[in-house]
Parts: sequence; C-alpha cells; structure tokens
Amino acid sequence: MTNDAAHGPLLAARWRERDPARAVAWQTDAHSATPWRTLETFQADIGAWQAALDAHAESPCSWMLSTHDPYRFSCALIAAWERGDHVILPADTRPATLKALDALGAVRLGDISGGLTASDTPRAPRWGALEAERVAVTLYTSGSTGEPQRLDKRFDQLDAELAMHAELWPLDARLTLSQVSHQHIYGLLFSVLRPLCERAPFTAEMCRYPETLHLWLARWYAQTQREAVLISAPPTLERLPETLDWSEVDGVLARIHSSGAPLPRDAAEHAQRLLGTEVREVYGSSETGGIAWRIQSRDTGWTAFPGVEVRDDAEHQLWLRAPWLSTPATWTPQADRVVVEGTRFQLLGRSDRIAKVGGKRVSLTAFDRALGELPDVRRAHCVPLPGRDGRLGAIVELAPEAVPHDHDARRQLIQSLRTALAPRFENAVLPRYWRFVEAWPRDAQGKLGATCLSRLFADLDDPRAPRWLGETLDGPQSARLTLEVPERLAYVEGHFKTQPVVPGVVMVRWALHAARESLGLHGVCRDMARIKFPLLLLPGERVTLALDATHDRSREATHDKVHHHAHNNNAHDNAHNDAHKNDMTTRLRFTFTSRRGTHGTGTLTLTPRKGTRHA
Amino acid sequence: MTSELEQELKHLIIDTLELEDVTPEDIDPDEPLFVEGLGLDSIDALELGLALQKRYGIKLESDSDETRHHFRNLRTLAALVEERRTA
Repeated sequence: MTNDAAHGPLLAARWRERDPARAVAWQTDAHSATPWRTLETFQADIGAWQAALDAHAESPCSWMLSTHDPYRFSCALIAAWERGDHVILPADTRPATLKALDALGAVRLGDISGGLTASDTPRAPRWGALEAERVAVTLYTSGSTGEPQRLDKRFDQLDAELAMHAELWPLDARLTLSQVSHQHIYGLLFSVLRPLCERAPFTAEMCRYPETLHLWLARWYAQTQREAVLISAPPTLERLPETLDWSEVDGVLARIHSSGAPLPRDAAEHAQRLLGTEVREVYGSSETGGIAWRIQSRDTGWTAFPGVEVRDDAEHQLWLRAPWLSTPATWTPQADRVVVEGTRFQLLGRSDRIAKVGGKRVSLTAFDRALGELPDVRRAHCVPLPGRDGRLGAIVELAPEAVPHDHDARRQLIQSLRTALAPRFENAVLPRYWRFVEAWPRDAQGKLGATCLSRLFADLDDPRAPRWLGETLDGPQSARLTLEVPERLAYVEGHFKTQPVVPGVVMVRWALHAARESLGLHGVCRDMARIKFPLLLLPGERVTLALDATHDRSREATHDKVHHHAHNNNAHDNAHNDAHKNDMTTRLRFTFTSRRGTHGTGTLTLTPRKGTRHA
Repeated sequence: MTSELEQELKHLIIDTLELEDVTPEDIDPDEPLFVEGLGLDSIDALELGLALQKRYGIKLESDSDETRHHFRNLRTLAALVEERRTA
C-alpha cells in the first residue's frame, strides 16, 4: 500500500506499483513496434541501471547525472534513489563544470564523457527507502546573478511542490512533452517528476525543434485521441515559426507552461495564436521552486501558488513562505521587487544589484538603466569581472545599424557611451569591457547565465581566443557565431610588419574550437581542402563564422542505426550530445565573413579521436 | 614623431591596464591620459605607478602634484622615465 495521505506523490513511489501495462513513456519514433514504454519495462530498466551502479560503487554514494532525454534520466535517477544514493544534477556538461564535481567525489553517470550507463541485462529492481528528510537532488543555479549556487532539495520539499501542482493542474493522463532541460528545477519537476508521480505518460525523448513538436503532436493525437501538455521556455516559444501549419494540431495541447525568464507579452500572444492554448507562466527560482503563475493574455499580475504566502517590505522587496522551501516557516527574501495585493502581485523587476569597483559601491541596476535609455541601445547588463579590481563589463544590445564593425567604429562608440554616462557616474566605475550584441545572449533557460557571461569575456583571460558575441544554431550540424578580433590578440603582433592581421592558421584554429564548443565535434583535424584567405582580417573587426558539418556515414559508422539527436538552444548542452557523430568522419565547412567580404573559407576533415570513451 | 620609448610606454599602458579597445596608434602623445583623452582613472593611476616601478625602478608618490604632472600625457611620462629610470 502506498501512503499518499501522509506524503505527497513522490514519496508514494508509484513507479513501484504492480501495474505492468501502465504507459510510462511514449516512444516518439514512428517505427517502434509499440508506442509505449510500460511500467514493466521501466522497472526492468531501473534494475539495469542499478546493476551498473552496484558494480561500480557501494551505496550510499554521490552520482552526477546528466542525460539528453527524460526517459533515461528517470531510470537512472530512480535507480540511484532506490539504492539510497545522492544525485547531483550538473547545470551543463562543460568539462570545467564536471571536473569541479569530480573533485566532490561524485561519480559520472549518463550521457557525459566517462559516464556510467545501464547494464545490458535487464534485472529486477531493488526498492529501498525514500526518507522525507533525505537530500534527493543537488542542483545548481544558472548564475545569472552571480556565481552558480549549490542547492540541496530534500524529498519532502519536492513532494510538497509536486502535490500542489498535481492538485492545481492535474495531468489526467495527458502526454507531457518537454522542451526544457531536466537538469534544472523547472524541468525536473514539470517534465519528469510530475508525469511519473501522476501516472501520466511523458515523451521518452526531449522535443528540440518546432518541427518535431508539430510532428509529435499530430502522431500522438492520431494514436490516442488524447491531449498533451507542453513544458517550454521563452527562447523556444518566441521562435515558433509561422511556416508550420499549426491548425493541423489545433486542440491537441491542453496547456503550455513557460518558465526560466518572463515571457515577452507578444511572444505569449504569438504562442497562444499558433498553438491554440494559453501559456501558463511559472515564476520561481532554483532556490524557492515555484512561487506564482500567470496567464498574460488575461492579466500581467502573478498569482501565488496555493500554499505560498507573499508580502512586500518598504523597499518593495518580495518575501515569501512556502511548504517546499528548506525552512517552510521562515519568511525568505527574494531578489525581486513587487507590489503585493493579497495573493497576487506585480513584478517590478530585480532589486538593485550592487558591486564594488575599486572599493567604491555602485549600483549595477543604475548602469543598466542609464545605458538602456541611450539612443540605439535596446538593453544593457553590467557585471563585475573577477580579478580586475571588480572592473565592470557591459553587455549592450544595439540597434543593428549602430553595431560597430571595425576598430574605429567600436572605439568611437565606447567613447560616446562613456561620455553619455560621465555626468552621472564617476570615471573610475564606468564599464571598461564592452560586448556589443545584436541579439541578447541566452542559455536554454532563457537567461544570460554564468555560461554565457564566461564566453562573452573569455578573451580577457585567453589572449589567443576571439571575442565571442553570440551564436545561432541552425539545426544540429550548423552554427553561426558572431566574433570580434581582440586588439590585444596574441597572434596579430609581428605577422606582417606594417599591418597587424589575424593569420589564416588562427582562423582555422578558431573554426575547430567553435566546432567543439558549439556543435560538439571533438574529432581531430586530419585534412584541409579548398582553404582560402581572400581578405585580411584586422584587429577590432567583427566577423561571422559559419560552420556546416556533414557526417560521412559510410566510412566509419559502425552502428546499425545512427541517431541524430537534434539540439536545443544551449550550445553547451550540445557538446556531448551525440556520441555517435564523433565516431564518424566529419567534413566541416567554415567561412569567416565581415561586412567587407570573405576573410577565410575552407573544408576540414575531422576523424574520431582515438582512445576517447563516449558514454 | 613617436620615440621608441613612447612606443614602449604605449604598450605598457595597454597591457597593464588591459585596455581592449585601444591600439598604440590610438594614443596621441600630446593628449591627456586621464579623464578626457584616453579616459584613464584613479585606479589606473595606481596600476600604472606600480608598472613603472616594476619596469623602470621609478618610485612615485601616489597622490602628489608632481605625479599628476608626470601622468599628464605620454610625452611627460616618457620624459619622467628618461630622467629617472634605474632599470
């Protein structure tokens, strides 16, 4: 018997029930023999993961788990939980992030380099004890407001929030389709734990493209005549293309959720018009979990979730109490400013962010606002840069016509921005490092998080790196990066005596590096063809690096079936996204173009790195 | 004309202060280094003082009129180094 009355749906551990035919996950592949992974299969898969874990380490221990897809994630997560282990969810799969967790003694699990995966032999699972007070998962914040923070979530915290959502928005056997990472609290709760706890099916794979969403919705409805729920985020909803015929799947989606960042009003309307249902936005944070929700087309104000108490203080700062906070009885402050009316509130924005520059206190919010009000500036965000006396870096989104394309234009623009700020701020606290972007850099959660920030300023610490100013991915094999040539680039000195330029070999190096970071191509460059450097590339020049990869299946593909996982918006989640493509020969075409013309172009042949193990 | 020493100082300024939008050609030897002109500030003055000490063995009082005079522009800075260098 389960003890639902005493506990919420998570501690009830419904995956242990004897209901072999229950649908746990829906197979998105049209060719699968059966559309379902049943509870029977699920339990066997949990057992297979446990077999692998048992062979590696005694319980209790810590695992760092990251997978591309929700089904594998659920199997591994529950396998570890039922053994009595602790699970850490890295926010991304960058080597530095994983190394830091290695140092904590956590063992790599899932789709990460060196990660353990399930054993090949299905086995009966072993059920342990899930104690309310035990830490279920450790998550990391995005770091959009500073260093990523470690957060422990106990079973009773997750349980309390899951119970509330199940009551407010029951899934009622609808299909959960996820477009967000389950490595973060919102995806963990909404994409994985909610369906598992509410005995509702979820898609075995993550839905990475609007085309896939369209296809899956149509196929799901044709098979089951049942509705679905979409777990999404602003970057995805904003980019839903009009070109797909959404009327074909009208009415299939019963609900859409969005979280991670506020959804712009026109994006909310756009998504509602195309997908045929309102977007229910969830406001919260990794620290607090869900706080409130809204449907923007009805009301811009937020309604506190049942059980959440909110109030504001004299400075309009938001304070809350919720059953799923680590200390439910304590009023906890949030970094947001609000006006509270009963259980509803209006968000005014973040509280002032304060930094110390050369020992002086400055309000970063004041800088953001002052810059944002200048002509041609659409949005600005200032951050203190570590190790530089706290000197500020500024990320500034400009109107396209104001974007500087060479050294002189960039220098003039910086001077005019500094002049405009001079009457209001002391010279010494003005931003020193400027990053001018055409599109606001965001990760898959819709935030300008620590990963984006470190890429934007990486050239300050690496004199061989170009300045990264953003990228767009056009599918899994093609990316366009915006780069600038740093004036202090180590390579430009002494190539030609009179005119400092970027040597061609450096462009090749940049292309290879970008292929690794943005497309997850880890191969070794074996050959170059049709390499040309028609125009000199100068310090300060802004260029677009276009990368297009094609994989040669015939030569080294050893798998019977090659999966091509699509990619989401976050380049870093992609880095290890597809082990298969690194087993093949890849042709990588690169082109560096600026306003003046083409600076470099060619085709590189990448072959698998010997001795690298892919999970 | 820019002397060899002035050229060297330009690189010293750019590297020490990590000025990313300035090339040696952008520094006019007669233009003020601080506030207007190159736009350096009080934190930069401290950094630059340290760099001069390390490279040329020149000691300066951090906040004297004399220092302010030497730091006026690249030429006055070059003259200071010429006169007082021990390294």
